[in-house]
Amino acid sequence: MTAPVDRLPPRSRPSRFAIGSVIGIVVLTYLAGRAVDFDLSGLVTDLTRPNSVIDGLLDPDWTQIWSRRSRSAFIETLQLAVLGTTFGAIIALPLALYATDYGAPNRIVRSGLRLLNSVIRSLPDLLWALLFVSAVGIGALSGLLALFFFSIAVISKLTTDTLDAIDRDPIEAGVAVGATNTEMLRTAVLPQILPSYVSFVLYGFEINLRASAVIGLVGAGGIGERIQFFQGRGEWEKLWGLVILFFLVVLVVEQISAFFRRRLV
Amino acid sequence: MIRFSDVSVVYDGGVRALSNLDLEIEDGEFVVVVGLSGAGKSTLIRAINGLVPLTSGSLQIDGREVTDLDRTGLRELRSEIGMVFQGFNLVDRTSVLNNVLMGRLHSVPTWRTVLGRYPADDVAVAAAALERVGILDKARVRASHLSGGQRQRVGIARALAQEPKLILADEPVASLDPPTSHVVMRYLKTISAELGITTVVNLHFLDLATAYADRIVGLRAGELVFDGPGSECDAGVFESIYGRSLTADDTMDNQAAL
Repeated sequence: MTAPVDRLPPRSRPSRFAIGSVIGIVVLTYLAGRAVDFDLSGLVTDLTRPNSVIDGLLDPDWTQIWSRRSRSAFIETLQLAVLGTTFGAIIALPLALYATDYGAPNRIVRSGLRLLNSVIRSLPDLLWALLFVSAVGIGALSGLLALFFFSIAVISKLTTDTLDAIDRDPIEAGVAVGATNTEMLRTAVLPQILPSYVSFVLYGFEINLRASAVIGLVGAGGIGERIQFFQGRGEWEKLWGLVILFFLVVLVVEQISAFFRRRLV
Repeated sequence: MIRFSDVSVVYDGGVRALSNLDLEIEDGEFVVVVGLSGAGKSTLIRAINGLVPLTSGSLQIDGREVTDLDRTGLRELRSEIGMVFQGFNLVDRTSVLNNVLMGRLHSVPTWRTVLGRYPADDVAVAAAALERVGILDKARVRASHLSGGQRQRVGIARALAQEPKLILADEPVASLDPPTSHVVMRYLKTISAELGITTVVNLHFLDLATAYADRIVGLRAGELVFDGPGSECDAGVFESIYGRSLTADDTMDNQAAL
């Protein structure tokens, strides 16, 4: 009798699909690199060339951290992130709940909501900002609207994934007691997803804080507008001072948020 | 009264779960449905509260034709029928009391449910239901912290909180050990007797069925093959229901001894 290890069933071979996929990814990466003339040496020569932007990074203007105008731009950014996330989160929850196969009152509502969700999710933060800057003009209101829609996209997407993975048995119990859809969602589904949902809202807030810097670049208010201002005047030391301050704020907010999220799930 | 007349249920894949079933259940009866898995026990129970639609035939509950009910009518019917599940079907992440309050959803306004502000009267009904199954002290505990037997008692309390005319129990003890199974069966039996609630229970253990049933209904491949009092149901009858000779696996006490 041979040893058990010699009688192990043969290892299954990787499927053709897996092999094909790996080859496909390698070929696509190579073609994409060629198409954009990717060249590592170019990166090195560009970095060593005299460059006022890099000089500013090496000697940032720390006074920017305490200047009054930068501070008020920061407060505006935080306000945008808080308001955009809060209102977005309130709308995202029903959008996700009523788009599920068990939560939708009928097929028309479900398809309608799913279409709406995918439209909202397909636009990145910067495009939302551009859209509202063109529609309602430069300023914080555009930023708020952009972050509002961006929050709906992020939070409803993550919540939908959680909703797909819940325990379905309580739903049957809810239907069996004669509950309406809304009552069933509130009592059988919401308690299951609530910790994850709150965690997603905090995560949405982190993302919005970073996004608020980007959308400011197209004139949607907050810290991004101030960065844009220094960039336009070529004041790189001040710009980098601001970026360092932004980095510190994001770091602190993320640590606090991560602390709460760990306790939730 | 529940009246099945020539009821058939065929699932989408072509599986015939119930075949030309005729059955009447009087008010206040304690009926146990037995049969192998796949014999149509679950389908029979779920047809009564409209969770499974009939393919053909007629099913009347207190004179109402189940197949004729619209959404609202179906919710109305379900609110009068408590259901107890094999897997308990509790919401683990909330309190026992909140689980039992689900049984009150039909009478609580939706906005109150959404806010979680249940009327005092409904909380009182839920508390009384928990008292009846002996776990009022666990009301504020998370459902996930209870043992299997306690969880099924919460399931019974949730059904009781509906103040139902009828309780359907689908394999209520299949996930429990023998002593706990007897506790749960005794609660179902006592509640049915004291409150006069018609009760239909699916079981696959013969000894449990004969110990608790007033009346036993035997299903085999979706057809009614036995209908009579528990006392008439001997080994020969069970062999005809199961279509084979009995083994130790078919009785709970013997299986527990294995």
